[in-house]
Amino acid sequence: MDYPLTVDIAFLLLAILAVVSGWRVFCTDSMVRASFFLLVSFIAVGVIMILLAAEYLGVAMFFMMAVEMMVMATFMVMFMMNPAGLNPMMMVHQHKFSIAAGVVIFVLLAGVALLAEFPTNPLPADLDPVTSLGNELLGDSMLIFESAGIVLLTTMIGVVVLSSHRGRYGGAHEGSMPPGLVPGGDPAGMPKEDEEEGGGHHHCH
Amino acid sequence: MAVSWLSRLAARARVPVFPALGMHGDTILHRLALTPGIELVDSPRHASILLVAGGVPPDLHEALRRLHDQLPAPFATLWYRSAPLSELAGDLRVDDPEALPEALKRLHRELMSGRRDSSPRLLPDEPPNPWEGLGDDGHGGEGMMGGVPYGRPMAMNMHDDIRDGLTLDSLTVTLGPFLPVLPPGLGAKVTLQGDLVQSWVTQLAPYPIALENVFHEALQRPVPIAELELARARHHLQRLAFSLRLSGLEHLALVALRLSRGLNVESRVGRLHRWLTRCGFFRLTAAGRGRLEAGQARRVGGIAARAAGLEEDLRSRDAAYRRLGFTPIVQRGGDTNARWRQTLAEIDHSLQLACRAEQEDLYSEMTEAVETPRGPWDDYRPEDASDILEDLLPGLEWDEALTTIASLDLAGVSEWPLEPLSETSLKDDEERQA
Amino acid sequence: MIVSELLLPVFVVLATLAVGAYLVGVIDGAIGAALGAPRGQSAWLAPLTQGAWLLTQQANTTEAPDWRAWRLAPALYLALAATGLAVVPWSPTLIPTDLTTSVVLWGSVEALATVVIFLHGWSANTLLALIGAYRYVALGLSYILISMFVLIGVALPAESLQFSQVVASQAEMWNVIRQPLGLPLFLIVGLGMTFWGPFNLADSRDLAGGTASAVSGPPRLVWNLARAAMLVAFSGVAASAFLGGWLGPWLPGPLWMVIKMLVVLAVLLLIGRLVPRVQPERCVTLMWVVLLPLSFIDLIWAGMEALL
Repeated sequence: MDYPLTVDIAFLLLAILAVVSGWRVFCTDSMVRASFFLLVSFIAVGVIMILLAAEYLGVAMFFMMAVEMMVMATFMVMFMMNPAGLNPMMMVHQHKFSIAAGVVIFVLLAGVALLAEFPTNPLPADLDPVTSLGNELLGDSMLIFESAGIVLLTTMIGVVVLSSHRGRYGGAHEGSMPPGLVPGGDPAGMPKEDEEEGGGHHHCH
Repeated sequence: MAVSWLSRLAARARVPVFPALGMHGDTILHRLALTPGIELVDSPRHASILLVAGGVPPDLHEALRRLHDQLPAPFATLWYRSAPLSELAGDLRVDDPEALPEALKRLHRELMSGRRDSSPRLLPDEPPNPWEGLGDDGHGGEGMMGGVPYGRPMAMNMHDDIRDGLTLDSLTVTLGPFLPVLPPGLGAKVTLQGDLVQSWVTQLAPYPIALENVFHEALQRPVPIAELELARARHHLQRLAFSLRLSGLEHLALVALRLSRGLNVESRVGRLHRWLTRCGFFRLTAAGRGRLEAGQARRVGGIAARAAGLEEDLRSRDAAYRRLGFTPIVQRGGDTNARWRQTLAEIDHSLQLACRAEQEDLYSEMTEAVETPRGPWDDYRPEDASDILEDLLPGLEWDEALTTIASLDLAGVSEWPLEPLSETSLKDDEERQA
Repeated sequence: MIVSELLLPVFVVLATLAVGAYLVGVIDGAIGAALGAPRGQSAWLAPLTQGAWLLTQQANTTEAPDWRAWRLAPALYLALAATGLAVVPWSPTLIPTDLTTSVVLWGSVEALATVVIFLHGWSANTLLALIGAYRYVALGLSYILISMFVLIGVALPAESLQFSQVVASQAEMWNVIRQPLGLPLFLIVGLGMTFWGPFNLADSRDLAGGTASAVSGPPRLVWNLARAAMLVAFSGVAASAFLGGWLGPWLPGPLWMVIKMLVVLAVLLLIGRLVPRVQPERCVTLMWVVLLPLSFIDLIWAGMEALL
């Protein structure tokens, strides 16, 4: 292959950085630090992808992971009972199970890397990876990618809506009531109170 | 060689001054803000000189020591109309406002050239509580609940967030009494979630503010209405300048300060008002928050009351004012936005009253009570009302809370009048310094 | 080969960073003086004297900061500015790094800037800096989508994600005319990512300097330098994406770039002085409810034009 020695050196350094920062994720005592160690690891992988001529995917990795880790850090700080943004906490749980799972997955992946037969047919020199990636994403596989994207977006919005106190008709702690069908009327879609008392628990409409 | 070249260049920098305000210390800041070669900074970490302006009450000396130790070396302390702390008895003290800018610049030059040593540290540099954390990463802690490093309670949330249920760390901190974005002397214990104020307990009331002598005289004998109204407009312009600086409109803050320095019956604020409207001050910054209830508004009095729709102004009881056709201006709203609109309208009104009163040479006639810029002064001086912040601020974001505080004049009125600064005109001052 | 592929690009980027950051200080000082700041020393000298003073001041410490992140954040922000400048083309031949995905690389510089600014405030372990950091995240997550749509808009007529192609596609008509919504939206993004003026939510006056409130001495100098450098990098990108980059009559390409960058810088700094800081909640509402739909319109506009 005709690439300079510097590429090999860069690959080794980046690979070490990716592994070491990935390992540090589990040694730190703060969710914010853990998120950003993970980000460093991903950035190193992104640069390796650029070295592998996957220019778009490598660069996309940077901004996807930057925003994702930022959102993850903030959301973890917001949703956890001890928001370890400032206070330290133990970041690893279920030690035995996770060690076992880690070993199994490592063996599987290493097995794939060592035993699989990778295709060797060289790509044409004039292949533009960005264009072919665009054709792939927005060609035959468009439906899959778009529906996956919509599902993820809906999930995110759903999580925020479920965890927020602010409902469509006011704060949840006040018992949010939908407005009436006429101005000042009874809440729409709610059974009347006397019905509730007289009619027992089950209504069949 | 290289170092001396660097320090010579550093000596020519604008002198970064952090003001720690004591009683009646804020008047000198209005002057320093307009002095070339001096930069008033917001954080002690950004300063080369700590300027203690005005007497600091003994119970705040400990806080002053802590503040003093926060300045990075090399730094010096200068005491303006204030007695140095006992440990710093040898420090420079200046009482003459004319000599202050030059003294600050000389101090900075001496520090940079090495002719003066940095001020000594007053307190031991150690954490307030002993280390009680675990772990090796500087913070310690174990388990889901974290540790108790430095013996402090963990940042766990016992209360629900009061707004949307997305809870960040609730942090309880003590602010003040030298935080430059709060009124001088105000100290508070604040619980924050992210930048949302969860609770606010006022621990130290702001220093009483000194009003110009004419308001004190008005309670003894009739005084020229023009003088009374100009003093009122000056007070409001200085408050406006503080708020404009806070919201990042430095140049308009300077316009307001220059206006207040050279204020006379011919001055007008129409242009300032137009600039404020055009740059979006009322819509982007002073948006309607910090709304006062009628009871709170009455307790604060003055502009805050009239901005909330209460038609309370002692001037309408004065026969001389009635002859000028005085009717109080009121707004509805009662929020930050209404208070600033009210302030600008009242400055304008005061200037018009002053203009007409001077033509007719009118004197106030009522001496049993006077409407001060801070509120009505009848049997009692306007009192401190900073405890209303405890009801007003929870639920506001930090920025909204600070603009609300800046729009309210909450401190009580001091028993002593303002010492008049010598009347050098602004132009001379700026030209001489340049 | 080493000279043209390694030394020259590095020299171009570093020289632009240093001179540009200094010019930001000068222009900002001159605008301040024109708007009535007390006249002190000349605007040419002020950035130098302040820098010299910061070099003589000691770097302070806070109680238990995250040292690595705290000291690295200013340097990383400066490095991001340098990365951004590296993809700005100066002429058809003088391009420090002519990556085929340079527009996307600029997008990731914007995203990583959010992380770095958050870290700068978070790692100091003090209240006001932390508030600045949280606030900035809200702002950063809001402007990044607007920026993406606007940049996709300029990539459409060029049919490329490469800044040199984006400039070349403007030979007939600059994007500022072709996509009238683009530049105003992008300038707002620029004010956001450098947290300057109306969008200075991170280092604002009401936080006593925000994420920089507890920083002194050389680290503060690096931070200030990095903010100015990021403005320069942004103005370079804005000039290439909307003002036709090196294109222009009579003068050589790089000179046109300098002129256009200075114009963008002056506009940004003027807005920074004239408009008050927007309240964080208003700011986020503005971004999501007004500016994001506008950026959709901009994108649809650009798409229609590319189709026609």
